[in-house]
Amino acid sequence: MSVITTREITKRYGSRIGVDRISLDVPEGSIFGFLGPNGAGKTTAIRLMLGFLRPTEGKASIFGLDCWKQSHLIKREVGYVPGDMRLYPWLTVRRALRIARGVRREDMTRRGLTLADRFHIDPDLVVRKMSRGMRQKLGLILALAHEPKLLVLDEPSSGLDPLMQESLSTLLRERAGQGCTVFFSSHTLSEVEQLCDRVAIVRAGRIVSDEALDDLRQRARRELVIRFATAGDAQRIEPPAFFRLISREGDRWTGELDGEAGRLCQWMSGLPIRDFTIGLPDLNTIFRAHYQEHDGGAD
Amino acid sequence: MRGIFRKIIREVWVGTLLFGIAFLLVEILLNLILPLLLEQMGDMLDRLPFIRDFLGALLGVDVEGEISAQIMQAFVWVHPVVLTLLWAQEIFFCTRFPVGEIDRGTIDVLLGLPVSRRKVYVCETIGWLTSGLIILSFGAVGYLIGSRGMDVEARPEFGFILLVLLNLFCVYIAVGGLAYLVSSLCDRRSRAVSIVFSLVLGSFLINFLARFWPPAEPFAFLSVLDYYQPAQVLKAGAIPMGDVAALLVMGTVSWIIGGEIIARRNICTT
Repeated sequence: MSVITTREITKRYGSRIGVDRISLDVPEGSIFGFLGPNGAGKTTAIRLMLGFLRPTEGKASIFGLDCWKQSHLIKREVGYVPGDMRLYPWLTVRRALRIARGVRREDMTRRGLTLADRFHIDPDLVVRKMSRGMRQKLGLILALAHEPKLLVLDEPSSGLDPLMQESLSTLLRERAGQGCTVFFSSHTLSEVEQLCDRVAIVRAGRIVSDEALDDLRQRARRELVIRFATAGDAQRIEPPAFFRLISREGDRWTGELDGEAGRLCQWMSGLPIRDFTIGLPDLNTIFRAHYQEHDGGAD
Repeated sequence: MRGIFRKIIREVWVGTLLFGIAFLLVEILLNLILPLLLEQMGDMLDRLPFIRDFLGALLGVDVEGEISAQIMQAFVWVHPVVLTLLWAQEIFFCTRFPVGEIDRGTIDVLLGLPVSRRKVYVCETIGWLTSGLIILSFGAVGYLIGSRGMDVEARPEFGFILLVLLNLFCVYIAVGGLAYLVSSLCDRRSRAVSIVFSLVLGSFLINFLARFWPPAEPFAFLSVLDYYQPAQVLKAGAIPMGDVAALLVMGTVSWIIGGEIIARRNICTT
């Protein structure tokens, strides 16, 4: 079942297009990565989903409720961390929890203070004295304290140190394990790669790819170095179609492998090969390829 | 609603208190200098006859012949400092939502909570009207303190003063409704404040121009002060229903349009 569904959702600002016919299905309990460089339309898409913006065309729904007309009902079960976390200067964790309790009619103080402890933040420190990272933590506490069914996080790790980023990843995995759906927007591939089950890549307001990370990994190139028994073998043998040869030096080939390693093993089994090393799938190349393709780039 | 009220109180209580105290002090001061002003008024009117028009514009009544002490009581409710304090407080208050929240980017956190824009608007409005009542109460207390030194015969009944305050509260509603309308249309608070301030200043000037410059007279109805006539209220001891209705319609219509715009507009914080 999809928690977030968008169908051909478009947002135009006069002649400028914010997002262009985005269709997404975010499965329940998944960690869904929303990847794209700055200005690609990630935040606009999120703001459409949360009812801050009205779509020019198309429809979006969360939990089956209309994102524009019923956004306040949707937010009962949503925790949201905006990309640019700006808070009231007088706010503290404790005051924020008190306000949220008044609106949500649910006491979340204990859970909020537990999160504050986990994020190492003083619950009585006012925002005006907080660093950017601390403000981000306060935003995360507000988004997580009521244990929502859906978390919408717009570049949530910006401003967090690497240890805290790791702590956040662990927390998000825990929540996903408990059935919470996480919509995770980021411009950092490595972050999405280590956390998400599925990823949509957005470029110039359009979805250019939407698939499971495992499928993406299978398609990704890996660096491959093969050492033949002799230099003559390395010169004589022709590379297979799934291997892009970059250099042939002495007894060594260096290149890139497309897709899974199974067929490589098959191909190598009858050849005079002494050794080989194979790298991890490089999603970066796919990510770049999507951008170069659409930019009309060389590769 | 409780959480939103908690946030509003946290943000405005200091400002409301300061404006209230300022209003109280101004009222005390004006009431203390009023007898001195009255003593010199006859002389002043003989030497500078245009002051008669000036006072007429301020008090909302044609000043002819001797000015009675009771009519001059209206002066403490129309003094430019009084109006400036009141309007400054409400411009500060009514431009907090949505434009203030959008401008500082905090609206993302506010509307990230399960609360509709209309609900926040209604809560803000309740806060604004309550703060207006508090400030006017401070003014009334200031009046009571300041007028103690005055002759009992020269002092109007307190009931009449309450009617003036009611008329003033209607002006407050008209200007606040307009401020909410402007606030709903803007993305920058400084711009919203400038627009409302210009409109209020323009309104004030039209009221004066209409007295001194006949071509401006047909436009006098555009000024909120055209519907605020404390001297008339003190003279007649009755609330001017037409003026009150005009102010309430002005404020309510602007407020409703503002609310509809807020509920339908796009909210961009970047």
